Amino acid sequence: MSNLDQSITLPPVNREFDWSRIIIAVSIGIPVIGLILFFIFPLYQVFIRSVTEPDGTLGLANYSEILASKFFWRATWHSLEMGVYTTLISLGLGFIIAQGLHRSHFPGKSLVRAAMILPLLAPSLVQGLGLIFLLGRNGLVNKLFGLELDIYGFWGLLIANVFYALPQVIMIVGATLSLSDNRTYEAASMIGASPWRQFIDITLSNSKFGILGAGFVVFTVTITDFGNAAVIGGDYSVLATEIYSQVIGQMNFNMGAVVGILLLLPTIISYYIERFAQRRQFSTISDSAIPYVPRFSAIRDIPMAIASYIIAISTAGVIAIVIYASFVKLWPYNFDLTFKHYDITLAGGYAPLWTTILVSLLAATGGVIALFLLGFGIRRVPPRVAKVVHFVSMLPAAVPGIVLGLAYVFTFNSPSTPLYMFYGTAAMLALINFYHYHTQGFLTTMTGFRQVPKSLEEASSCLGSGLIRIATDVVAPYVVPMLISVFFFLFMRSMVTLSAIIFLTTPKLTVASVTIMRLDDAGLTSQAAAYSTCVMLIVGVALMSMKGVLYQVNRKKGISS
Amino acid sequence: MYLNVENLTKTFGDFTALNNVSISVESHEFVCLLGPSGCGKTTMLRIIAGLAEADQGTVSLKGENLIGLSARKRGFGIVFQSYSLFPNMTISENIGYGLKIRGVAKADINKRTKELLELIKLPQVANHYPGYLSGGQQQRVALARAIAVDPRLLLLDEPLSALDAKVRAELRIEIRNLQRSLGIPTVMVTHDQEEALMLADRIICMNHGIVEQCGTPEDLYLRPETSFVADFMGVSNLIKTQYIRDMFPNLMEHRPSSEDSDLIACIRPEQIHLFSDPSGIGTIRDIAFLGNISRIQVDSPAGDLTIETHGHVEFVTGQKVKLDIHPDNCAWVKNTQGGRIIS
Repeated sequence: MSNLDQSITLPPVNREFDWSRIIIAVSIGIPVIGLILFFIFPLYQVFIRSVTEPDGTLGLANYSEILASKFFWRATWHSLEMGVYTTLISLGLGFIIAQGLHRSHFPGKSLVRAAMILPLLAPSLVQGLGLIFLLGRNGLVNKLFGLELDIYGFWGLLIANVFYALPQVIMIVGATLSLSDNRTYEAASMIGASPWRQFIDITLSNSKFGILGAGFVVFTVTITDFGNAAVIGGDYSVLATEIYSQVIGQMNFNMGAVVGILLLLPTIISYYIERFAQRRQFSTISDSAIPYVPRFSAIRDIPMAIASYIIAISTAGVIAIVIYASFVKLWPYNFDLTFKHYDITLAGGYAPLWTTILVSLLAATGGVIALFLLGFGIRRVPPRVAKVVHFVSMLPAAVPGIVLGLAYVFTFNSPSTPLYMFYGTAAMLALINFYHYHTQGFLTTMTGFRQVPKSLEEASSCLGSGLIRIATDVVAPYVVPMLISVFFFLFMRSMVTLSAIIFLTTPKLTVASVTIMRLDDAGLTSQAAAYSTCVMLIVGVALMSMKGVLYQVNRKKGISS
Repeated sequence: MYLNVENLTKTFGDFTALNNVSISVESHEFVCLLGPSGCGKTTMLRIIAGLAEADQGTVSLKGENLIGLSARKRGFGIVFQSYSLFPNMTISENIGYGLKIRGVAKADINKRTKELLELIKLPQVANHYPGYLSGGQQQRVALARAIAVDPRLLLLDEPLSALDAKVRAELRIEIRNLQRSLGIPTVMVTHDQEEALMLADRIICMNHGIVEQCGTPEDLYLRPETSFVADFMGVSNLIKTQYIRDMFPNLMEHRPSSEDSDLIACIRPEQIHLFSDPSGIGTIRDIAFLGNISRIQVDSPAGDLTIETHGHVEFVTGQKVKLDIHPDNCAWVKNTQGGRIIS
C-alpha cells in the first residue's frame, strides 16, 4: 500500500486490529445470505423443476407440452388481454383523479385521496367480493331490477382489477404531476399558449414517463394477481390461476414451474421498462422548482370534481359494500343487521387471523433489521460489490408472488436441504412476505440512507466515533422515519397478500387471505366479508399508527429541512 | 516539524489528484492549502484526516506514523463547508459529542461546553437544534465541536465558502483569533486567495496535484515564483520578456539570465504609475471607478494592462499616458503555462 523510502527510518505503523471491516462484512453479509437462501436459491429451484422431465432427466419436454396445450394459450391470451384492458382503463381513470388531486381546485380532495387508498388496505380479492355482492347472481342489482346479470368472468375480473390497480396509478402519476415547475406554465402563458395547449405540451409531455411507468406497473400487477381472478374470474382462466390449477388441482408441480417461468418473462420485461421510465422521469426536475398551485376554473374544475367523486365513490363503495354485507342477515333478502357472520368456525375460525398478525410482525421486524444492515453495509463496500448487491435487491419486484410461492414449495418442502425445517412454520411465511416485497422496502430504506450527509459521518469519525456509534448517532436519526414506513409497509402487505402464500399454507398453518378465499369457495360469502372486514380493520389501525408515529418522530427530530 | 507529509501520491482512475507532494506544518502554525478546484488540496486534507488513503507516501505527526491509523483514532478536529452538525442533537450535545465518546464525566462536559459557547459568543443557543441557527452560527458551533476535544491538529475544509460575504469576513477574524489564542496547528483548504492571505502563516499554493509555491502570504503575493501563482494570488500583469525589453528596459537589470521564454515579468496593478504624456506608449481604454480605487485598462504594445490607483483619477478615455514601474516591484516568474499571460 505505502511505498516507503527505505532511507527514512519510520516508527512502527500502528495498524490496530480493524473491527470496522468485520462490522461491515457482517452488516452486508447477513442480508445478502438471506437474499441468496430465500430468493435466488428458490427461484433456481423453479427453473430446475421446469426442465425436469417426468423420468427425472433434464429436458425441455415440459415446455413443449405446455406450449402445445390449448389451455395454456387460452390462459396466456386471457392474461394479456386482461392486462392490456385493465392498464388502459386504470390509466385513463387514474390520470383523471391524479390530475384532479394535483391540478384542479375543488373541495373534498382529501376524502377522494383517502377513498383511493382503501384498496391497498384490503386483500386483493375484496374487490371481487364487493362486486359479487353488488352484481353477482344474488347481487343487489339483479335483485332490485330482476335481471340475470352474470358478473363472473371477463367483466367482473376487469372491474375488480381496475379498482385494485387505480391507487397505484394515482400514486405514480400523482408523483410526477406534483414535481412540475409552475414557472414553465407562467412562461407558456407569456408566450401565449392556451390552457389546453399547456396541458398537451407541458403536463402531458412531462408526465409521459410517469404514465408509461404506471402502465407497466399495472400490467404486471394485473397479470400476476391471483386473488380477484380466483374469486370472480369464473371460467375465465388466467396464467396465475393456471399455475394454481396445475399445482393444486392436478399436482403437476413441474408444469406449474414451467408456467411460472413463462410468467416471469413479461413481468421482468415490463419491470425493466418501468425502471427505465422512472429514471427518465426524475432526471428532469430542478431543485428550485416552484410548485403549481391550481386556482378555481369552472370549465375545468366542475367536470374534474364530478369525475373524481364518481371514481372515488365507486372505489370506496365496492369495499364499503363488503363491510356492510358482513353485518347483514341474508344478503340481499334480509337487511337486518347482525353479528352472526363473525361467528366463524369453519376453516380454522380466527386462528389464521392471529397467525397472519404474527407472520406480519415477524416479516416487518426481520425485514427492517435486514434492510437497515443492507443499507448500512452497501454504502461501505467497494462499488463493484455494491452494484451487484443492489441489482439482486431490486430483482424481487420483477417476480410475481405466485411464482415465488411456488419456488418456496420446491425449496422448503423438500427434505434434501436444512431449509426443510422452515416448512410449515410462521417463519417461512414471514420470509416469503419479506422477500416478496423486498424491493419496495429496499428502495425506501435507501432513500433514508441517501439523506445522511457523507460529511456528517466523516465529522463524527474525526471526533472519534466507531462504526457502531456512527450507525446509532448519525445514520439512525436520518433513516428511522423510513424504517418506520418500511415496517408498516411490510406489516400491511403481509396482512393482505394472497398470491405468494397460497401454496404454502398447510391444514395447521393458514393465513387470513387464504381463509377468506376458502370461505368464499364454500359459498359463505358473508363470512368471507366478515373476515375481510377484520383484516381491513387491523390494516387500517396499522396505517393510522404509522401516520401517528411518523408525525411524532418528525416533530421531535428537529431536522428543519 | 510537527506534521510531515511526504511524497504523497493519489490517483482516481486516470486522474492524478496528488503527484508526489510533500508538505509540513509546524506546531502552532496556520497553513492554508490554496488552489483552484481539482488541484488536489481537498484530497490532501482528507488523507491527513484519515478519511482517504494515499496510494503512496507517508503522513506523520511528531514522528508518529499515521498511515493505517483510522480517522477516529487520530484525534484531529475537522470542520466542513457544509457545517455538518448532528441535526438530532442540541448545540450543547453537538459540542460535547467528542468528549462524550471519550467517556468524559458529564459535569466536565457541561463545563467545557459552556466555556466553548462563551468563546464562540453563542451562549444563548445551548439548547437549540442546529436547524434553528444561521449558517454562520452553525459554522461557529462546528468549530467549537472540533476544538472541544483539544485536537492535535485542526483541519478546515473550505469552512467559509457557504456563507455570505459579510458573515464570512466576521468569521474569518474569529477563526484567526481563536487559532492564534489557542495555538492549535491548523490546516485549512480554500480556493479564496484573500482568505488565505489574511489567515495563513504560510500558504501552500497547489495546481494540478503539485505544489506550485510554498511561503508566507507576502512571499506569494510580492515574490511569486511561477506564472500560475502570480495570476492566482490576486490580479497581475504577466508580460513576456521581449516586451519588457522594449517597453520597460529598466526592469531587465533584476532579471536572472535565462531564455526569453523561461521567465515572465509579473507586475501588480498597483505598482504601475501613470502620467499624462501625449508621446506615451499607453492609451487609456477604460476606467472603472470602484470607490476606494479606480481600475484602469491601458492599451500598450504588450497588450491590455490592468492598473489600479487610489481614489478618483483625472484621466479620460483615449488619453495617451506614460507608464512607470520601479524595478523592485517587478517579480520574474517561471513560465509554468499557468495563469493568463498578456499578449
